[in-house]
Amino acid sequence: MISNKAKKQIDTWIQKYPKGRQSSAVMEALKIVQAENENSLSAEAIAEVADYLDMSSIAAAEVATFYENYNHKPVGKHTIRICHNISCMLNGADDLVFYLEKKLGVKTGQVTKNGLLNVKKVECLGACVGAPMFQIGDTYYENLTEKKIDDIVDKLK
Amino acid sequence: MADIEIEIDGNVVKAKAGEMLIAVTDREGISVPRFCYHKKLSIAANCRMCLVDVEGAPKPQPACSTPINEGMKVHTQNEKAKASQKAVMEFLLINHPLDCPICDQGGECELQDVAMSYGSDVSRFTEGKRIVANSDIGALIHTDMTRCIHCTRCVRFGSEIGGIMEMGGTGRGEDLKIEPFLKEGITSELSGNMIDVCPVGALTSKPFRYELRTWQMHSVANIARHDLVGSNIFTQTYKGKVKRIVARDNDSVNETWISDRDRFSYEGLAHENRLLKPQIKMDGQWKEVEWDKALEFAVRGLVDNALNTGGGNKLGALTSNTATLEEFHLLQKMLREVGSENIDYRLNVKDLDNVINLESTIKLVELEKVDHSLIIGANLRLEQPMINHRLRKAALAGASIDVINAMSFDFNYRTNSENIVSPGQTVAILAEVLKSILERSCAEIPKYLGKVKIGDVAKCIADELLESNNSVIILGEHAINNPQAASIAKLISEIAQQTGSTTLNVSATSNSMAAEMVNFVPGQGGLNANAMLAADLGAYILLDVYPQYDFHNSVQAIKSLDNKNTFVVSMNSFRDKEVARYSDVMLPIASFYETSGSHINIEGVMQSFAAAVSAPSESKSAWKVLKVLADLLELSGFHYANSEQITGEISNQSHKQKIDNKEINITAKRGVSVIWQKSPYAIDVLSRHATALQATKIGQMHNALMNKATAKKEGIKEGGQYLGVPVIITEKVANNCIFVHANQSTGDKS
Ligand code: SF4
Ligand code: FES
Ligand code: FES
Repeated sequence: MISNKAKKQIDTWIQKYPKGRQSSAVMEALKIVQAENENSLSAEAIAEVADYLDMSSIAAAEVATFYENYNHKPVGKHTIRICHNISCMLNGADDLVFYLEKKLGVKTGQVTKNGLLNVKKVECLGACVGAPMFQIGDTYYENLTEKKIDDIVDKLK
Repeated sequence: MADIEIEIDGNVVKAKAGEMLIAVTDREGISVPRFCYHKKLSIAANCRMCLVDVEGAPKPQPACSTPINEGMKVHTQNEKAKASQKAVMEFLLINHPLDCPICDQGGECELQDVAMSYGSDVSRFTEGKRIVANSDIGALIHTDMTRCIHCTRCVRFGSEIGGIMEMGGTGRGEDLKIEPFLKEGITSELSGNMIDVCPVGALTSKPFRYELRTWQMHSVANIARHDLVGSNIFTQTYKGKVKRIVARDNDSVNETWISDRDRFSYEGLAHENRLLKPQIKMDGQWKEVEWDKALEFAVRGLVDNALNTGGGNKLGALTSNTATLEEFHLLQKMLREVGSENIDYRLNVKDLDNVINLESTIKLVELEKVDHSLIIGANLRLEQPMINHRLRKAALAGASIDVINAMSFDFNYRTNSENIVSPGQTVAILAEVLKSILERSCAEIPKYLGKVKIGDVAKCIADELLESNNSVIILGEHAINNPQAASIAKLISEIAQQTGSTTLNVSATSNSMAAEMVNFVPGQGGLNANAMLAADLGAYILLDVYPQYDFHNSVQAIKSLDNKNTFVVSMNSFRDKEVARYSDVMLPIASFYETSGSHINIEGVMQSFAAAVSAPSESKSAWKVLKVLADLLELSGFHYANSEQITGEISNQSHKQKIDNKEINITAKRGVSVIWQKSPYAIDVLSRHATALQATKIGQMHNALMNKATAKKEGIKEGGQYLGVPVIITEKVANNCIFVHANQSTGDKS
């Protein structure tokens, strides 16, 4: 169920578009609803957003599955969004992903037992100059090494 | 239309500025390979297969999305064009399985054809190919999503033509998948067209799966007879069996689309329930006999029980509305020859003195151009899918649509207003609309409208009608048993006249227009269907009648036909236990696609068709049977060598206009009314036997819907039964109305 609070937020977005184009607000609406649901979107939630915006469910699902910032499985308190695009890949991102998986004892897409962390592979975050890199919350961490990862990740609570 | 010139492969061609290059090459017969482009869908330009070399452009350009300009020089065959086409082909085949021999599309696959002409001989790709899980999308379409090349034709078909986006592309890059949402499946009444538009074997026909290769079949141009459009189709046959039906282009009828009902009903032809041998009933026992015996028996029965005892008056003829024009004609001619006017096809009408008499005055192609429509008593989308498709185009172009229905249906376009009123109130609203229109044009108000008070709803509809330049009023099937059916039709004529609107009467479907054309209704002194059943006739000829489905009051009809003293000659394509109960002779006749004949569509256009296959076993075309019966009855004028000779003799003899001079009655009916409306896939005997169609959501529509208040009043509970049909309580239905989707007339339909 989309809360009334979320609906109000979505409505402000709908108003930014011409009448009859309410479906243009789908990205924001999905974001708002995701934030309300422990940071992930169930199929039902997508269908409800679609309903609210008077668009077909599959059209909303197209958007929700296209962008990496929507989650379709439960996530941890922090998501480590590690880039595996060209620059990062050339600079060893794959090894770091492997390292992270080993360190945390989970595969990408899974959540650590304590519910604190999950790792997600994402596309270029525009920080190629500091590749390899990952993002946690709003912070970018660049020029990563295994050691640096230990320092950063061990501090997360 | 030619206003500019361009050069393609060294030849100058004329074209219209702004046209897409591919439209020009297609018209000129120059082949440019393509996958995502489809002439009736929007341009996606995502497959890149149509790359051609345009002089002056640094890179090859996609022909499907390159508008032409004066003086443009295009090469579709030079080195650069060929190299790009080959490269795209290789790219498309990276993830496509190369297993055409086990793919159902093999032989009619655009990818296969294009790969043959433009691809390279060997694959250089040695890595692993991706595999995509199939989704079960319903009984009609089989999916093989690993074969999908992401052209998005099916997606665009859903959102642009079907009107509901059911397929979509989820994920991105290598993870892109074309699929429906969750496991919802595909429910559109036009879904089968996705099979036609899919260029590869990703979407194929489920009932046809692994049956045959396309080149093994024989394609016969044919006409579908399930609705008022008469969609153009190809029946594809193999060894005398219809194996598949695909759409045939005809821009003035069905464009390139056909409904699922037209596409999949053929499955019924092979049903085990076909009536295959002539049978006669002796001492209450059915006995299979030769045709001549059966016919002799039939003629003797007709003569003894009717012609010799009371003359023609004792004989009656009833048909379903799916008969061909020629069959209607022969049967009425025969009856009239022996002096009987007891002729009728309107078996599902409760009160034949209160019938809809409304002309259709608009052409199908013009429907797309209306700027307003008022729909009354129709679930247009499911009942007349192709008509709805045209109207949808108008709606997308901005036409406003007002609806007066007894239940809220899913439209695949936006409606301006949806007024849900009980059938008893329909006439009242229309009276208000008419009065409002007359008042505003300062016309004289006829006496019967004197006391009418105009409500807001009616006022809005009247406004719309007056403001529009090109409006159509559509009257549908739900009105046929309305207590004020005749008055509703008259009010509509009146409103149309006052506002310069056109009208479309979709209240009687299938080939009813043909029945009207040959005047297959009682003339002077004749009895209508209901009167016949009440009159104890001596004998009947029934043409493809299935009492439980066709008669308004089947219980009563069966009872009166099952009378010891009534001799019933039944001509049927399928076996039916009720028919066996009351008949004395059963003659097996050809079904759809097994006989030649004609269909008259809503525009009055006659479309004739040949038989695609011969009738199975001993069954015969009904026109031949009727002809022989007439010969045996020693009637003259029945010497036909083929059905075209019959067609040639038919002229339009509809007397519909003359019969009607009753007053308009606008008294609304109080209390609960019931609308019986069979599932759209149960309207004729062939569709009812088509297993895949019946397994779809639409085929399963079998329920009685009513709102809480009505249920309470009638003492009905959710989950209970209403005359044998499961009850659903929903506020979608008007108060005081029970809307029954029943495949079977379960009891007295009041
Ligand atoms: S399923 Fe067929 S029509 Fe749909 S995107 Fe794939 S290839 Fe195109
Ligand atoms: S490739 Fe990793 S940030 Fe650009
Ligand atoms: S047909 Fe032109 S890009 Fe697909």
